[in-house]
Amino acid sequence: MIKKIVHNRQAVIGLILISVVLFTAIFSPILVFNDPLKGRLENRFLDSSSEYPLGTDQLGRCIYSRLIFGARYSIGIALPILLVTMIISFIIGIVSGFYGGLIDRILIGICDIAMAFPPIMIVLVLIGALGQGMEGLVISIIISIWVWNAKIIRSAVIVEKNKNYIIAARIDGSSNLKIMFKHITPNVASQILVLMSLGVGDIIIMISSFSFLGLGVDSTLPEWGAMVGVAKKYIYSRPHLIVYPGFCILFTVIGFNLLGEAIRDICDCGYGEHNE
Amino acid sequence: MIFYIKKRLFSLIFVLIGVTVFSFILSNIAPIDPSEAYVRRKNVSASEEQIEAMRKEMGFDLPIHKQYFIWVGNAVKGDFGESYTTGVPVIKEIAHAFPYTLKLVGVALLIIIILVIPISMLCVRYKNSFFDNFIRIITLIGISTSNFWLGFIVLYFFAVVLNVVNVLSYGKMENVLLPAITFAIPIAAFNIRVLRANMLENVNKDHIIYAKARGIPNRILIYKHVFKNSLPPVITLFGQTVGYMIAGTAIIENVFSWPGLGNYALKAIIDRNLPAINAFVLIMGVVFVICNLLADILNMYINPLTLKKMENYK
Repeated sequence: MIKKIVHNRQAVIGLILISVVLFTAIFSPILVFNDPLKGRLENRFLDSSSEYPLGTDQLGRCIYSRLIFGARYSIGIALPILLVTMIISFIIGIVSGFYGGLIDRILIGICDIAMAFPPIMIVLVLIGALGQGMEGLVISIIISIWVWNAKIIRSAVIVEKNKNYIIAARIDGSSNLKIMFKHITPNVASQILVLMSLGVGDIIIMISSFSFLGLGVDSTLPEWGAMVGVAKKYIYSRPHLIVYPGFCILFTVIGFNLLGEAIRDICDCGYGEHNE
Repeated sequence: MIFYIKKRLFSLIFVLIGVTVFSFILSNIAPIDPSEAYVRRKNVSASEEQIEAMRKEMGFDLPIHKQYFIWVGNAVKGDFGESYTTGVPVIKEIAHAFPYTLKLVGVALLIIIILVIPISMLCVRYKNSFFDNFIRIITLIGISTSNFWLGFIVLYFFAVVLNVVNVLSYGKMENVLLPAITFAIPIAAFNIRVLRANMLENVNKDHIIYAKARGIPNRILIYKHVFKNSLPPVITLFGQTVGYMIAGTAIIENVFSWPGLGNYALKAIIDRNLPAINAFVLIMGVVFVICNLLADILNMYINPLTLKKMENYK
């Protein structure tokens, strides 16, 4: 598997892009020259110079430093969200798919109702209920997307559990738990990996979209979406204030999408995100 | 087929009940007291009695299940209450905003169909050519961009670089093109990828090889045999996409100051305008479910095999 990934050009490009972003996120304090939060008003809208490589924004803050720190926010919020959703989706998907019957019906019923709303709307309304800010955003995104993943994992589990090796394991006297986690889990792992990798991109876009609307992270923070949201007033005079952060989002999301699609091709599991 | 539609309509009732419960719960977990908010908006130094009276008037002193039934009963009649901020009936405001959203979605859908079908067919016909690879890169960028950013890029490009759009007049009905293009690009990119992959999978099937052996030219082959057989999963996806689009206009509408439902909902959420949020959630849930159902029916019409599969599931 790892060998295949290394030999896949698409996967390698994706990995390189992701590594760049991760590197930036981890080492951002070393990479910047200025404080991304503090600026001096007399320095506003400066052109690029040796002190400010990409110039300054409307409050005189260093754009370059803010972009570098933005990686921290996007990755730092998206990865925990991804982890929590995948754990919830995995447990519900595997239990529901494996046991079937009443548990399955109830869980799938809940999924169907939740899926009657597009995720973006659930997030909007939940933020309305829970209040604006980082916590509200994180909880809403988790609530809005776990169902989709749970359903895909469930379908994968149903396919696996009817295969002969599961019957063999059962004859062998394996317990339900052992079959679920030792036999089925490794065989659906590649699909989960694909879901995770393609999911990061969506989550990053969601975070930045809601921050752009002013419903996510605080607008003074150097989050890429929030930066675009604040800079929209200056679109005609200073378009670069919008172009740079958007480009950073694009760069990151392309990395994860490339990797996810490459893994999907390698494992040959389905072609669409919502494909069941 | 009629039987299947009836069955779907029946299960639809349960989903709709779920939708109403869900939207009711959502608006009730809000940590603020709407009657207090309402009174304070009009009179900052409102007394406890005034708030209590308002609570009675709005029915918030009743037990929660009674509130739910009253709300559903009114909602079925199209009465979602009055907006807390303007005092106008919510249904009136929504009826005003809805045509804008529908127009935006309609034009965007048109652009998507115009882009998706020919481009994915060409990609399949000239697989691995320069054109195919170019489209693959473009669509990858398309599915990876954030909508709001793309909106500004499109706006800047048309208004400043090309100077063909008057920046001050957007928001009017005529200027639907820019938001529609922005809206369409990521969705079209995603659909091109799905349809292309689907068609490529069908190209290697036996009946296609047989048709090739019969000497049918490539272009007819691709349209008549490959394309039509690749449609069903795309239609299912498309039905979902339309629902998404109608509910997901908030970001685009915000960028282009488009006075549709998305902007209305956004404002309602920021103002904590509960009747408006409730109505928005309920209407969107219904629209989304209906779009999915229509896509399924269309699929059955195009491909009777899906119906057989459904019958096997029973």
